[in-house]
Amino acid sequence: MTVPLLPTTMVGSYSMPSWLERLKTDYFARRISRHDLDEIHDCAVRSAIKDQEMAGLDIVTDGELRRDNMIDYFVERLPGIHIDRSSKKFYYDFYDSEVLGKIPIAALGLVDDFKFLLANTERATKFCITGPHSLAKRVRNKYYPTDEALATDIARVMNMELKELAKAGAELIQIDEPYYSGFPEDLAWGVKVLNLLVEGVDAKIAVHICYGNRYGKPSWEGSYRYLFPTILGAKIQQLSLEFARRGGEDLDLFREFSPPFELGAGVIDVKDQAVETADLVAERIRKVMKFVAPEKIVVLPDCGLFHLPRDIAFAKLRAMVEGTKIVRKELNR
Amino acid sequence: MILHVNHTRRDSAAASASEAVSTFLTLFEEGHLTPAQFARLQVYLDWVQYKQNFREPVTVVEAAESDGGEPSRMEIRIDSRQLAPGSLRELVKKAIGPAAPGRAEAEDRIYLEEFRSLRTSVVWSFNHLYWQRLKDWEEATGKSYEKSLPGGVSDGHHPQAIADSAREFWKLLRELETHHQLPAEIFILEIGVGLAKRAGMWLDRFCELDQENGTQYYPRLRFLLGDYSLSTLDRSRPAVEKHIDLCSFIALDALDPTRTLAFLRHKVLHVHSSNTYDNLPDEELVWRDNRLYWVQVRAYIPAPQAARIASGCQLAPAEIARTIKRLLEVGADTLPEHERGMAFWMNTWNAIRLEERLVDRLDLPDAELPAGLSYPQIEDLLHDAPGELRFHLSSGALESFRNTLPLLHPQGYLQVQDIFVTDWSGYSTGFYGPGKLDGSIVNWVNGALLREVAHRAGYDLHFTPFPYRAGSKTSILYTTERE
Repeated sequence: MTVPLLPTTMVGSYSMPSWLERLKTDYFARRISRHDLDEIHDCAVRSAIKDQEMAGLDIVTDGELRRDNMIDYFVERLPGIHIDRSSKKFYYDFYDSEVLGKIPIAALGLVDDFKFLLANTERATKFCITGPHSLAKRVRNKYYPTDEALATDIARVMNMELKELAKAGAELIQIDEPYYSGFPEDLAWGVKVLNLLVEGVDAKIAVHICYGNRYGKPSWEGSYRYLFPTILGAKIQQLSLEFARRGGEDLDLFREFSPPFELGAGVIDVKDQAVETADLVAERIRKVMKFVAPEKIVVLPDCGLFHLPRDIAFAKLRAMVEGTKIVRKELNR
Repeated sequence: MILHVNHTRRDSAAASASEAVSTFLTLFEEGHLTPAQFARLQVYLDWVQYKQNFREPVTVVEAAESDGGEPSRMEIRIDSRQLAPGSLRELVKKAIGPAAPGRAEAEDRIYLEEFRSLRTSVVWSFNHLYWQRLKDWEEATGKSYEKSLPGGVSDGHHPQAIADSAREFWKLLRELETHHQLPAEIFILEIGVGLAKRAGMWLDRFCELDQENGTQYYPRLRFLLGDYSLSTLDRSRPAVEKHIDLCSFIALDALDPTRTLAFLRHKVLHVHSSNTYDNLPDEELVWRDNRLYWVQVRAYIPAPQAARIASGCQLAPAEIARTIKRLLEVGADTLPEHERGMAFWMNTWNAIRLEERLVDRLDLPDAELPAGLSYPQIEDLLHDAPGELRFHLSSGALESFRNTLPLLHPQGYLQVQDIFVTDWSGYSTGFYGPGKLDGSIVNWVNGALLREVAHRAGYDLHFTPFPYRAGSKTSILYTTERE
């Protein structure tokens, strides 16, 4: 599916409504059934897709509203990982999880989520998964000799799933690896594992790397300089980074290293409830264009909109779309 | 009738309990209480430890049914400390009579407002006036604010506590440096500075540590002193004179520090405050029969005291309410002579009391909870709490807390020295305000609710009893990042 110049999209997650938070927590407290929760999720995802369409996004996601957080949805699906179910009281809490043996190959059931997305929109789609490095950092490793070995096996299992997603029609798959920023010393093996994950996957691959958005706050601070030049070895087509909150200092890196991939440029600050104006968004896009050609820019928020109230999340997406239109007009495109 | 004994002083509690049971049974037998009233009567024996407070010795609090029908339950609170021997019977008779305060406007009270949430009561304007014109008050009483604290000292200035705090921060910087994550500028924020005695001592100690270890962190410090009172900020300068080049004095609202300091979002490595939360606007809720009620208040001055104040200040009694309004706008100079104005202020403050009533939260759809809290959350929390509870919402503290967190650097932390009720059961065993402390208001802070708000904002909260002074009521709250 073709998209316009400076295509707009979300990083992945959309605003999590407080009523859905309560219902998810009710599920863990056994006050509602799995069947009811699945229906609730279907409704919430349809609504998130509709909001993205109404906001005018070119590429839509499922809003990740089925997920409790970016880790547990995958950890629950990975065979061989032991989960302490009593460790989660509020749905957003992380499970205490540990790996006690070799992770076997198995289907993870993500294809159904993608098919649901595909069936509910006519726009271009993006499907997002959490990458092996971030998962390996959250699971207590009691079997593998190193985190790298654990991440490698997770990548092996997930590679099968990514191939199935591509077969099901996923044209753009995004891998989220925020933990790179917390553990820059892991980057070399992180990229190796990433390449294993996407090997033979017939889809465009994007990687999103931010400084964390757990509870709507950053987990680390620093500079993206740590990514270079190692990230240039990643077999990806798009790198998505946050620039709205942190400012554009690291954009220099794109001039310095001329990476071959597209830049997914974060132009919406997801950690601040103040809604950007379209003019501000346009200004941020223009700034990115000083370093990267417009044909290689994708416009998106800094990270997921999970922690923002729905009205604010929607208004921010609208501003992002309107700001992009201003720049497109300036480029006569 | 159910009798709750909310304090544990053996001699007075036992005697008060015995007298209360005997008094209420007698009133019932004499027909002053109907069987229905008696059955729904809840009597609380409190020990209001603040000598200056807003309570009468006997207070009735009733909850009206939402359809305007008969009150569902009668709550009588008896302040054992204020109660004169032999006075209980008459006070209760008056409190439960048809013309009881709370049901109608009592003739012997000069009301200063209509029923409303405590947070919006005129008493907070007095509190504001006190901090804006602290110097006037101190000159009039001849003693500093600190001397008027219980014990005459502030735990906020304890040298060892300050030295430990400086060392803890230095260790954090050391760790960040080891991981190459130490920012070029090291921001620290003190909210509610007082006379900056603590800030000065903290900077002295930090400077020494830095020199002892040769770490060069001290010159990178950016120490922000924040207070909403400009006069307080002015008065705080001398205490940090030695470090003045590192200090910035910032007028900010403790309820929303991020509004003023938005440019420091996620950049402040340490935020500290001492005895600020307990003085922020607050209100109370009651959890009863699985329902939540707001405690509404109505400030008044007992008529005999109003007459004495008026006569002492050469005013007509009818002028009292209007003069209070002016006092709150312009201070003691509202009267021709400053001294007379001060006497009016102090006497009025001493005389002010609060009537109370309970209103079902469903009948107050516009009553707002602090951001980060919802009724379902509170109700979930209270399911694990004792059956019936009256507790502080600590709305000002919650607001301040939640609006401070966005300033914190990912590895930064918030430390608060204050008086906290750290779990729900605490509210069954004591009185935690509102009390009067000199010209200001004091409320203990609801730590259980703070913990909940922190949790949802990505932090774990820890409370440590202040270990530096025996008998201290202070706790130290500190945050750690929640995974």
